[in-house]
Amino acid sequence: MQIEFNKVLPKPLSEIEHSAESLWNSKVIFESGKRILLNASSGKGKTTFVHTLMGLRADFTGDILVDTKNTKSLNTDEWVEMRRSKIAVVYQDLQLFPQLTVEENLKLKAELTAPFNSNDAIDKLAFLGLRDKWNQKCGFLSMGQQQRVAIIRALIQPFQLLVMDEPFSHLDNNNAELCMQLIQNRCDELKAGFILTTLDAKDNLTFDYEVKL
Amino acid sequence: MIKNLLFKYQEKRQLVIALIGALLGITFLISSVHYLHKINEYGEDSEILGKNTLILQKKVTSASTMGLTKTDFSEKEISKMKLEPFVEDVKPVISNNFRVWFETNDPYVPTFKSDVFIQAVSKEFLDVKSEKWHWKEGERFVPMIMPRDFLVMLNTFMNASGIPQVSDDLAMKLKFRLRISDGQKEEWVDTKIIGFTNEIASILVPENFMEYATKKFAQGDPGKITQIMVAGKEGEFGKLETYMNVHGLESKNSQVVVSRLKSIVGTLFAVILVISIVAVIASGLVLIQYMQLVLSHNKYEVRTLLRLGMHPKLISKTFFRYFLFVFLLVLTAGFGFFVLLKYFVDEIFQTGGIYMNEQISIMAFSSIFLTFIIFTLASYRTAKNEVFTLFNK
Repeated sequence: MQIEFNKVLPKPLSEIEHSAESLWNSKVIFESGKRILLNASSGKGKTTFVHTLMGLRADFTGDILVDTKNTKSLNTDEWVEMRRSKIAVVYQDLQLFPQLTVEENLKLKAELTAPFNSNDAIDKLAFLGLRDKWNQKCGFLSMGQQQRVAIIRALIQPFQLLVMDEPFSHLDNNNAELCMQLIQNRCDELKAGFILTTLDAKDNLTFDYEVKL
Repeated sequence: MIKNLLFKYQEKRQLVIALIGALLGITFLISSVHYLHKINEYGEDSEILGKNTLILQKKVTSASTMGLTKTDFSEKEISKMKLEPFVEDVKPVISNNFRVWFETNDPYVPTFKSDVFIQAVSKEFLDVKSEKWHWKEGERFVPMIMPRDFLVMLNTFMNASGIPQVSDDLAMKLKFRLRISDGQKEEWVDTKIIGFTNEIASILVPENFMEYATKKFAQGDPGKITQIMVAGKEGEFGKLETYMNVHGLESKNSQVVVSRLKSIVGTLFAVILVISIVAVIASGLVLIQYMQLVLSHNKYEVRTLLRLGMHPKLISKTFFRYFLFVFLLVLTAGFGFFVLLKYFVDEIFQTGGIYMNEQISIMAFSSIFLTFIIFTLASYRTAKNEVFTLFNK
């Protein structure tokens, strides 16, 4: 899946001066199957990037093309299809249901596209050290634990592109590496790419190239 | 799981209040529609006069006896009355101006004959099928509507003659005839009773027959119009009654009592109906508002489900079905309460001597159906609008 940002400038960022290499207000192509790092300091629009790409905000100028199709022309069904099986997202605020258990949170997402494979989900949880949290309500988990559940939830759906908004912000290096390993494996399995936003060190991250904001 | 997520953690108190309001509103709505319909229907089957129709005459006073005032109606008086806003129509009641005898003409019944008084009224005032109520020269039978008091008198005679008394149905099968005369020539015509009335004291015949007999046998001047038929507008009987009092008019007491009773009770139920409609609308709005509140409380959940790829139609359908189920429960319970209430109200009416058809009015069912349709549309629209608004947020 190829994504093209063509002169995109969200209104809240229109007052800020952007560098020549910034994604905003210039033409940037996110190549299909590539693992891309989106590195920027706070307030440069990392979350805005995710939200504009996923159709959650429309207050921008310019065009976003997904496989040459302008997102402004997508109808509800096409957006649903895109969110369901083409682009998986780990939102910065995680978007988990605190009143539901880890199992229920994963099941709810998985059942939108395919029958829920609980063994696969349990294996992933175990890999990230959360095996005992299966029946725990998400609201009772720490932020780091919730972050790992949100990553697993994104990984269990089919996707061509995985978009992650600061997914390791609450994780120590060891857990971040484990998560990265899981992400890389899943992307290899699906021959998919990812876009990962981050605001700090990138030593432990493996990626193909970097885009600035 | 979605239902669990969206409805398990909701605040139930407001829902209970809305449900109680809706339940009461619907119970009273069904009840008032049912009884309003039944009251309008009351007495229609048993009488031959049309709806809201009275026969009026002027009150006989000492002055009229001394010839100081008239007891007949002039053309001008009739035309003036027609112009009143609460009056649908006015027509004179034509009385015979020749001699008439009524007699039995059946081998199974002993001869009975009596001088009678016949009258003709315009067909529009009668609630009889038109194919039964017509006559033209050369036809064998003249249809007639008999005062029920006359049948009582006939039965008294039958009893005295040692013959079994006759019912309404049997009387309509017996053969009778009228003898009309101007004192010199006379004619016999066969007649058939097609119905009975408690509202008119004379035998009613079709206008055509009256015209024919008047032309052939009338003596002297045309008969004076001493009675008129008045059809009042629906629900405006009170105004007609006031007019009658002001103009010294009177009607047969039972007619006035029934019409007044129907008018008062009808107005009462109409008021209850309006209150019920307001209550149903208010409780419907509270339910819809509650739906908006649930949606608002679940804004995060709905938005997250949409972000995860759930179709907005599926989410709005979940809300819509939930509230439809709740409303169907309210309607069913409301209908149950109505049946219970009807049992007691019917008992009260029967204790007061008012026997109404006990079947549940089709209008009551229609009101349930209409309420259901309106709520369905409103809740569908609300659910759809609220969910789709969150889709791109």
